Amino acid sequence: MKESPYWNPRHETMPRDQIEALQVRKLKNLVAWAEAKVPWQAARLKAAGVTADSIKSLKDLRRIPMMTRDEWMQAQLDKPPFGPLLAAPEDVTVRYHLTSGTTGRIPLQVLDSMKDWEWIAEMWCYGFWGFGVRPADIVFFAFSYGTFVGFWGAHYASEKIGCLVLPGGNMTTEARVKQILSMKATVVCSTPTYALRMAQEAKTMGVDLAGSSVKRLILSGEPAGSIPATKRLIEEEWGAKAADTAGMTEVGTIMIFECEKQPGGTHIIEDHYIEEVVDPETGEPVGYGELGERLITSFGRGFIPVLRYRTRDLVIRVPASGCTCGRTFDLYEGGIRGRVDDMKLVRGTNVYPRAVEAIVREYKEIDEFRIHLYTADGRQDEIEVLVEIPERDGVNADRIVGELAKSLSQAHEGLRFGCKQVEKGSLPRFELKAKRLQDDRIVIGTAGERRVTA
Amino acid sequence: MKNAMGVELGESERTLVESYLGLVRVLKDGKDLAPFERRNAMKAVAALWQVVNGLDFDPGNLYEIGV
Repeated sequence: MKESPYWNPRHETMPRDQIEALQVRKLKNLVAWAEAKVPWQAARLKAAGVTADSIKSLKDLRRIPMMTRDEWMQAQLDKPPFGPLLAAPEDVTVRYHLTSGTTGRIPLQVLDSMKDWEWIAEMWCYGFWGFGVRPADIVFFAFSYGTFVGFWGAHYASEKIGCLVLPGGNMTTEARVKQILSMKATVVCSTPTYALRMAQEAKTMGVDLAGSSVKRLILSGEPAGSIPATKRLIEEEWGAKAADTAGMTEVGTIMIFECEKQPGGTHIIEDHYIEEVVDPETGEPVGYGELGERLITSFGRGFIPVLRYRTRDLVIRVPASGCTCGRTFDLYEGGIRGRVDDMKLVRGTNVYPRAVEAIVREYKEIDEFRIHLYTADGRQDEIEVLVEIPERDGVNADRIVGELAKSLSQAHEGLRFGCKQVEKGSLPRFELKAKRLQDDRIVIGTAGERRVTA
Repeated sequence: MKNAMGVELGESERTLVESYLGLVRVLKDGKDLAPFERRNAMKAVAALWQVVNGLDFDPGNLYEIGV
């Protein structure tokens, strides 16, 4: 029998009307479960006049109130440590994890039962199998294996598929590169930033990664996995194909993955989630091809039901026909485009870190960079990009810095960018989510509002 | 045997669903299981739940049996 390119062939190739029928059925079940088991959710649903029986089509989804991270955090603060969000007693759980702390005052804390943890791995299997990972593969994880959920589910997914797993926690970058080579790893999992970091280290060691056995990189944790220039650079450095994935601790696992056809976007795992895209200001739905904020409803982790959670992620949804793989799951073109709160207003111009990175990565000579916002003369916003350009034969750093400043300005309505070369190794390196934007402004935006520093 | 979408299952799929249902029944009713029997059966049920769910059987949650 021919091997399926899909993890769940029936669902991944299901006609749209059947996907929607499946989602409506699962949504009814989820609402019924939340009503019965989570009084906090039941009260919200009741206030909105929503019952399981009243869910007749996907249009009814919009009657369910959106849930925000602030509400989740407040619920945890009111009833620590997990808040009144659990659907069953804590003693059936086997895993504890935290959000990575990108947003918010406190991390969100979550629990998983044996079944939910297995489901978390199951979602990663859609992505791994869909990108061509098979039992014969040797998978290396450049991951610290802490309380941040990160690649934990991917590790178990690799075991489930039958791969040999190399857990690369608590290792230096040099040791990781050595192990990838000595164990002949065929798949490497890391953040996009760290994939580049390992490539830099390999160069320092005099190793040709492009000649290694690595054939696939699975990237997660940052939007850069779908920034074409960054991805191209990673693929060139490693001589391997790279796939973007994205997940979140709030659902425990990934909800989107890039398939082997690499369509420049990520498929939504639509048999396990309902993803909506809305205007972040009004909450009104936006159409295919329009930028908006994604909301997630998850059918997986029953222990903490998630209904219409505002992710703050910016995406552009396009139909499944944008990919030739045969899946009927829609795509997010360009993956996660950034976050609603990522956008910085500098002298009246919108600046998105992802857009800056897309330009910086056009210059292969730049090893690392930082976006720095500050207030000049106590009154004016300024933006500068600090870059590390190691000395190499034929590299003219001054020319690159000048060209970069010009390109950034052209892409931002003529906004002046100060670009500076800094000493090699002076900028921070990242293993998990990179934080390359430093906002030291006293005055923010154009209205003269002052940052609260107390 | 038809799933929630009204699709008739193949023989192998039916066997998997029956195995799952049998294991759940044992975990609910079996009072005299040794630790190795109960805990390994629970692991198996957690894995088979993914199959039954993927075959559209609306298996619900399993927290009442500790899974």
